[in-house]
Amino acid sequence: MNVFKKEMKANIKSLIIWCCAQVFIIFAGMMKYQGFADSQVDVNALFAAFPEEIMVVFGIGSVDITKVAGFYSVFFLYFMLLAAVHATMFGAVVVSKEERDHCADFVYTKPVRRFQVITPKLLAGVINILIFNMVTFAASVFFIAQHNDGDGLIDKVSLTMLALFFLQLFFLALGALFGSILKNTKRATAAASGLVMGFFVLSVAVDLYDKLAFLKIFTPFKYFEGANLMINDQLSFNSAAILLTVSLVFFVLTFVAFNRRDLST
Amino acid sequence: MNVIEINQLTKYYGKQRGIENVSFSVEEGEIFGFIGPNGAGKSTTIRALLSLIHPTSGSATIFGKDCIKYGNEIRRDIGYLPSEVFYYEHMKVREVLNYSASFYDNVDTSRIQSLAEVMDLDLNKRIDDLSYGNKKKVGIIQGLLHEPRLIILDEPTGGLDPLMQQKFFELIRMENQKGATVLFSSHILSEVQKLCARVAIIKDGSIVRVENIRDMQKHNYKKFTLDYRGVIDVHHFNLEGITNLTVDENTLHFLFKGDINRMVERLQGQNLMNLLVEEPSLEEIFMHYYQKEEQP
Repeated sequence: MNVFKKEMKANIKSLIIWCCAQVFIIFAGMMKYQGFADSQVDVNALFAAFPEEIMVVFGIGSVDITKVAGFYSVFFLYFMLLAAVHATMFGAVVVSKEERDHCADFVYTKPVRRFQVITPKLLAGVINILIFNMVTFAASVFFIAQHNDGDGLIDKVSLTMLALFFLQLFFLALGALFGSILKNTKRATAAASGLVMGFFVLSVAVDLYDKLAFLKIFTPFKYFEGANLMINDQLSFNSAAILLTVSLVFFVLTFVAFNRRDLST
Repeated sequence: MNVIEINQLTKYYGKQRGIENVSFSVEEGEIFGFIGPNGAGKSTTIRALLSLIHPTSGSATIFGKDCIKYGNEIRRDIGYLPSEVFYYEHMKVREVLNYSASFYDNVDTSRIQSLAEVMDLDLNKRIDDLSYGNKKKVGIIQGLLHEPRLIILDEPTGGLDPLMQQKFFELIRMENQKGATVLFSSHILSEVQKLCARVAIIKDGSIVRVENIRDMQKHNYKKFTLDYRGVIDVHHFNLEGITNLTVDENTLHFLFKGDINRMVERLQGQNLMNLLVEEPSLEEIFMHYYQKEEQP
């Protein structure tokens, strides 16, 4: 409990900043929607004239973005990216920060096993991503309602947030694994953010080149599609199951690796 | 009963040597010195005892239990002061100490106050505002707070002024009199001399010897200083048992270990102005250990 509390306290500031950034993105994004809706321009036709590559990179596929649900579904890509960076960094830092700050000698010479330190730390991570998720949910419903005659599309947004949570959990586990295997925090965060970048590039490549479609399974960014969640109300069961399983495996590996680790001063 | 038993403990970091076949034991209630130059393997041994690192081979037990397997149980009764003290920088001293206490059952937290008074430490300061010496004090308090049965000190006095060192030694002696066993690692001999009865000497990752400090000083070595009237015949002292032989103008210094009668025989007929036979300081004996190995 003491480790959990300490970790929550240590991360509260950064969590608030992440949440504020997220709220601002949703606010600003929905303002743009208002711009589209008011301009009377055929936005779909306008975008159709853009090269496909650009549309893909910005996550604007074939959805009708003049409808609020369609417009909001485009956000999912940004949510995924932000959440991925947030969760990965949290995981990578939280398991390795004592060594980075040279206080591993302090906490790991206490009468506790290593998993008794790592578990509350990861639990704090889960709570942090959950709060981030809930704030995203609340801000989404609030700002959608403002542009949709008071209807916040709670069901659709809930489903989207559930998908987001599976991704967050995956990235938290991924970060933690890097943190427990690699030599120090710096290498762990560098490698983890590199991988997130790689996942993103791969997801764009898959969208651009049909031949690469089989690579979809290797990038979590292709596990859920914003349009499917927001328009078709569908959350891929297989994707969720794979992500949860892989996350679990990563968490277990984190414990095993951390237990074997020679802690540096 | 032995509180610590180390048996052929070996640690390699990849191919780099940490320690090799380290074996010694520490008896209950003693203050045991662990001495050697920086990089000899003192911290590696201690970190293995605390299961911060995993030994490559060999084993160690504390309170009769395996260090790695029962690490969490053992550490309930260990107080540890690391050589480099770092704590959560943004926390206050009091918060760090309370956090530390929260890992133990039944800690008398009023000890925080009393220990802080003895060590003259302000509990309301933030860790990052503290000087190195003051951080060390935080380390000392968090190490002694839960009244451990075994106190492990890794180079504890660096950064403390002489007055504080004195207070610190008193504190350690007091805990020792109350029954705590102490493992005291240092590269400063005089402080080991002040506190310890037995020492293990480590060099290049291996234990050179485990000895009684008094035996080391009194029974084994004599320090000879010979003032000559004329030219010194150094080869005359090519005798087994002589080490640290140095010539300083007309004066010859050396340490001698062995049958004193043979030395008296050897001294006969020497044209001396003065002869001094003393107890060597631990420093000099220590130097001798290190030089012995370096000779071809």
